[in-house]
Amino acid sequence: MADDSIFDKKKSHHAKQAGRKADKKKKKNQIDQSNLSARQRNPKAFAIQSAVRAERQFRRREDVIAKKQHIPQVDKTPLEPPPIVVAVVGPPRVGKTTLINNLIKSFIKTNVTSTKGPITIVTSKKRRITLIECNNDINSMIDIAKCADLVLLLCDASFGFEMEIFEFLNICQVHGMPKIMGVLTHLDMIKNAKKLKMTKKTLKHRFWTEVYSGAKLFYLSGIIHGEYLRNEIKNLSRFISVMKFRALSWRTSHAYVLADRMEDITSQDSIRKDPKVSRDVILYGYVRGVPLLKDSAVHIAGVGDMKISELSYLPDPCPLPSSEKKRHLMERERQIYAPFSGVGGIVYDKDAVYIELQGSHSHKKEDEETNEKKALLKNVVETKETVDEQMQDSGFKLFSGGAVIYPDMLKDDEYLQHSKENDSSGESDIGTDEESDNDSGIDQSDKHKSKVPWENDSHSECDEEIEFDEKDNHSESDRSNESDEDTNKDEFSTKWKERLSEKATMAYFDRQSTSRNIMKLVYGEFEVGNKIKENQNEDKENESDEEIGGLFKKVTKSQKSNQKEKEQLDVDECSHFYALDKPNTRDWTKEVNKQVIINNFVTGKRSADEDAEELLKLDDASDEEQELYGDFEDLETGEKHVVTEGKEKSEELGLKRKMESTKSEILDKKMKLKAKFDAEYDNPDDHRIKGDHSYYENLKAEALKQSELNKSVFENLEDGLRIELEGFRPGLYVRMLFKQMPSEFVSNFDESYPILIGALNMAEQNIGFVSCKVKKHRWHKKILKTNDPLIISLGWRRFQTLPIYSKIEDDLKNRYLKYTPEHVTCNMHFYGPITPQNTGFLALQTVSNNTNEIRQLGFRIAATGSVNEINKSTQIMKKLKLVGTPLKIYKKTAFIKDMFTSTLEVGKFEGARIKTVSGIRGQIKKALNKPEGAFRATFEDKILMSDIIFCRTWFKVDVTKFYAPVVNLLLPLGTKNAWQGMKTKGQLKREHDIKNEPNTDSLYTDVVRQPKVFKPLIIPKELQKRLPYRFKPKKKSNKISTNNTKEKFENRIAVIKSPYEQNVSKVMKMVRTNYQKKKKDHKEATKERIIKHKKKQDEEEWRKLKRQKELKKKICRHLSKMSSKRKPQM
Amino acid sequence: MPATIHNDVIVYKGSNFLRQRLLLSTLSGRSVRIEDIRSTHDDPGLREYEVNLIRLLDKITNGTRVELSETGTSLYFQPGILIGGQLTHTCCTQRGIGYYLEVLLALGPFCKEPLNAVLQGVTHHDLDVSVDKLKAAALPVLLKFILVDDGLELKIVRRGAPPLGGGEVVFKCPVRRSLRPLQCSKWGLVKRIRGVVYALRVSPTMANRVVESAKGVMLNFLPDVYLNTDQCRGSNAGKSPGFGISLVAETNEKTFYCAEAKSMEPGKGESTLPEDLGAECAKRLLDEIHRGGSVDSSFQWLVALWMALGHKDVSECVVGPLSEYTIKFLQHLKEFFGVMFKLEVIRDDNEESDDEQGPVVQNVKMTCVGIGYVNISRRIL
Repeated sequence: MADDSIFDKKKSHHAKQAGRKADKKKKKNQIDQSNLSARQRNPKAFAIQSAVRAERQFRRREDVIAKKQHIPQVDKTPLEPPPIVVAVVGPPRVGKTTLINNLIKSFIKTNVTSTKGPITIVTSKKRRITLIECNNDINSMIDIAKCADLVLLLCDASFGFEMEIFEFLNICQVHGMPKIMGVLTHLDMIKNAKKLKMTKKTLKHRFWTEVYSGAKLFYLSGIIHGEYLRNEIKNLSRFISVMKFRALSWRTSHAYVLADRMEDITSQDSIRKDPKVSRDVILYGYVRGVPLLKDSAVHIAGVGDMKISELSYLPDPCPLPSSEKKRHLMERERQIYAPFSGVGGIVYDKDAVYIELQGSHSHKKEDEETNEKKALLKNVVETKETVDEQMQDSGFKLFSGGAVIYPDMLKDDEYLQHSKENDSSGESDIGTDEESDNDSGIDQSDKHKSKVPWENDSHSECDEEIEFDEKDNHSESDRSNESDEDTNKDEFSTKWKERLSEKATMAYFDRQSTSRNIMKLVYGEFEVGNKIKENQNEDKENESDEEIGGLFKKVTKSQKSNQKEKEQLDVDECSHFYALDKPNTRDWTKEVNKQVIINNFVTGKRSADEDAEELLKLDDASDEEQELYGDFEDLETGEKHVVTEGKEKSEELGLKRKMESTKSEILDKKMKLKAKFDAEYDNPDDHRIKGDHSYYENLKAEALKQSELNKSVFENLEDGLRIELEGFRPGLYVRMLFKQMPSEFVSNFDESYPILIGALNMAEQNIGFVSCKVKKHRWHKKILKTNDPLIISLGWRRFQTLPIYSKIEDDLKNRYLKYTPEHVTCNMHFYGPITPQNTGFLALQTVSNNTNEIRQLGFRIAATGSVNEINKSTQIMKKLKLVGTPLKIYKKTAFIKDMFTSTLEVGKFEGARIKTVSGIRGQIKKALNKPEGAFRATFEDKILMSDIIFCRTWFKVDVTKFYAPVVNLLLPLGTKNAWQGMKTKGQLKREHDIKNEPNTDSLYTDVVRQPKVFKPLIIPKELQKRLPYRFKPKKKSNKISTNNTKEKFENRIAVIKSPYEQNVSKVMKMVRTNYQKKKKDHKEATKERIIKHKKKQDEEEWRKLKRQKELKKKICRHLSKMSSKRKPQM
Repeated sequence: MPATIHNDVIVYKGSNFLRQRLLLSTLSGRSVRIEDIRSTHDDPGLREYEVNLIRLLDKITNGTRVELSETGTSLYFQPGILIGGQLTHTCCTQRGIGYYLEVLLALGPFCKEPLNAVLQGVTHHDLDVSVDKLKAAALPVLLKFILVDDGLELKIVRRGAPPLGGGEVVFKCPVRRSLRPLQCSKWGLVKRIRGVVYALRVSPTMANRVVESAKGVMLNFLPDVYLNTDQCRGSNAGKSPGFGISLVAETNEKTFYCAEAKSMEPGKGESTLPEDLGAECAKRLLDEIHRGGSVDSSFQWLVALWMALGHKDVSECVVGPLSEYTIKFLQHLKEFFGVMFKLEVIRDDNEESDDEQGPVVQNVKMTCVGIGYVNISRRIL
């Protein structure tokens, strides 16, 4: 039984303890499964099932990735970026000013009374914004679109989008789309909730089609107490302060400044003498875009091209808070800067205007002690000058109320005499002292310019530099003097050529020895930053006056250099290192010299970080640090390696370069590499097949590297030198002096118009012929005519010019067009400023705000396009058809007249192809001398006298050289939006009521058509003979069916009768006549009889009728009698 | 002599650096006036080769205006737009083709159409860089700025020695919208030395003798030395006799140094020994290698120009000690473009140990921000 049960029992599972399966399982369990992903735990489930599907998936994934990729651009935003320009744009009376006021209030908790011009405010720790309102002028709209980073596009929801909004959007599209945020106002005007919802929706969708779908549209639901709702404004300001911007290509290649302050520094005297005198104007603003170069030409939109005669940077009037660690912006750091609006109390400093805010914080009194400490600390921290300069700078006061005295000014009596009001506070700390110094400087600056302490210090610095230079030069000259004495005592000028080679070598060594300050060697004394040298010339003059013993003038350094320059003046130009002559090069074959150079070859010793041997050693070192170059025993061979390298090393030390310094670096590098390799090799995230994006990654890395380099290279440089090298970087607040500014700019100054100063790159200040592609705007009602003046906004500029439209033919010829075609692009040439290719532009027919005109045009933007090509000449061809008529025709030759007027003209066209109307082709051969301008031509067939001969040629059309910048900023105050340039011919004609007589050929007249007369058909006799009778022409007398007897008998033969016949015919004629007479009489008699008979019959009839009538009467009477009799009976 | 600016026209004095000034004027589009051209010389006014240069500039531009005073001592140059394209130019034999070719090389990338220029004249001249050197050392420099070589080519069709010349080269250059910034601080170690020895209308043994001596010097330093001999025959040998050598050293960082030497012109009295010539050239090459830098010293100015014309990004390049010509060029760059280079002298630390070995080489690190020059003449359809 027991055995049975044993047998019944199924054999239980025994896990394999050994063998293949057991090994497998063991191996599997060794790995910790908990951390693995599903794919790793069960790779089979994720294996590729279908190759096709996998391929599709892969392709799709790659597509999605590729779509996301953009060409990496070098990020050029500076560390301290300029304020973001937020433009508030919209039609009039839509609530722009209210919005600006509310925004300012929400950002910095102050009310501003007027919002003219740009208003810069600090909004957060890292961001400032410049708010600017755009007035209702298309000029301003264009300028604003060119400089705004963010546009708040205001729209009256109760009215809907107006034309200005669409115009502005179009302007933006052309000049580079800034970020655009729509803001709907006047929503409280719509009372019906459903309607409100619908309006919002429709407006939103319309806005999306214009900007991009999903563009942010803000709703400002209404005004309470003249202000928008607080939370809505707060939201808006939040959006503004986190907005991100992308670089626009025009602005990443051009610097620009939106001026926020203007000063006229022309002397009052000259203005008094002549109010129209050209002014010296200073404009201030933040540099934006790219660094502004010192001597670049600029364009002031609405004024014209100008040259900056002085450019310097100023301390930021509205600085970002210092980079202390704190979460929020301090109340006092919420600054506002708006000189045009005249906000708050204005304090003048050297060059800047500070606006004191009357906010709550200004009343907070800090105790004097902390104030003092702070000022001291600030002073120490912020010094950028050397002690000497500070000494120059720092003045001292003898009395607490007295004037400040500077070291330079001690001699200056004038200055001492000048008494100055001082701060009554009587604080004596240095910080405030310095401030007051500056104040004093400013007070003085009008009268005694040179006594401004700031300028003085620049003088002193210059002096120092000059001294340095002198030393250098002296040493140089000394050396050359020596060599002079050694070699030759003849005249310098005659024999100089002989020693050229030596001098060249000397000069080379000199240069090498002095190259410690190589910048100075190359650029000489250059201006550093704001500081301007002036007195160098004076120094030179002073030097040259030194005399030795009254007789001999010492050859001074300046003369020396002059001499040198003169020598150089007309030397043949040569780019070799040793110009012109062979210096004594070292003999490199000598062993000593060979040692110097041997390491420059691959066979020589390498530097430590490149030497394979060294690297290997280092590798070992890092692997087994404990055995760093230690002894070890080779177990296999039993050899013992003892350190002998130590000695070698010490020997090599002289040859090895920078070994010690680089060792740690290399180790670091190696560790990094190893970590990277480990990361890639050990932990592959998943085993999917990945596309190769290395190209894109490399591009991105390159761009990143470049941007890092851009930022880091000049970081540690002194500010002045840095500006010399890279220009005034964006974010700096600069002061630009313009000389020769038209006086109208100042006298007709209006703050509400933006003053945009755009820098011009190389060659952009020149004028040439611009070829571009252009398309008439769909919404513009008229088509554009060639040579009608057009106002074009291109680059920074707005100007009027005369364009010529053309079409590019298949052979790349520009064919002249008289009008722009509809709905397709065409080419346009005009004479204007040279602008890089692909720059967008827009064209307007008028910039004036005349409502009638606007209504007539509908949409003011006439055309948009982009620049194709720049050239100094144009090649636009107009089709020309020359028409002639035959003079005489031979077989295939004909003489043609009327096509040309002179033999010379014919000569030019010899060999040209001509064609008749009927399509017979020919060629012009040679001019005839008889009728001037006639010529001989041959054709492929005989032509007819009635043929007209054409010669199809091209005629070159020249572009008129007309270029007039729109100078709307110079116009008088009320009429700034009424700039009127050249008028079109049509406009002039309309104004003067001139109507052209139309071409008579173009007039419509009645068409008179003569009936066609066909010639009779003539069948040749031979043919007639052979024709069957049916078809033979018959002599038909009645063929000419006319009743003209004369014609009838024209061709008949006359019949002459005999006397008898004559008699017979006479009798017959008499008989006939008689008969006819009788017949006639009878006919008349019959007629009479019939009439009589008819009369008689009529009478009879009448009588009969009468009788019947009477009878009827009788009967009727009887009847009536009978009836009347019967009635009474009834 | 610093320039003065008068009515937006840059005014210079003296004939020196005329080529630089005209070149920069053409690129910048700024007019230039040059006064006092050899006004105190016995032979005043522009030389024939300078007039020839102006002709060449006129050929590759459109709308250039040149006004020359009656005596030829004053020149007004208003540049036009660079056109490029096909052109054939007979260069003046007073200077080598290199004088003109360097200008074309600098202007080439900024033309409207790819440049395809045939230049005839003296291919090897003492005053100028020879065409061999340009081909070996200047083209690789341009290649660093344009990256892709599509049609950059310099073909030496015929050689011609002074005084009569008779050489011909074909230069082709692609156009670019802008040049990329260059970062180049290493120049590596010399890995091979190549060279060309030419003999025009002289015995072919001359060439072999030159090769022998030059190779003799160079083999002291590197085993990888190969020199070609170019024995020109018939019309390919130009019109005048002469022989010369140019040696090129290539480093493992693709930097090319080139040195050259050529025989004296016939009729100058002295005659040149081929052995001396070879050794002389080798020495010059060693000198060049010793100076180092990531560009040959004759083309420092080209690098400076292309760096200045690059994107608005930082370019860096380490070159050997600046030549006088480069210094002048840097000054001119500042005057025309307003670009200032940051120049730093780099000193090798180990050199201090061997002071007695002579002057220390001071490599200069040139750093600048490009002006973002774009090729305004190119056509976009």
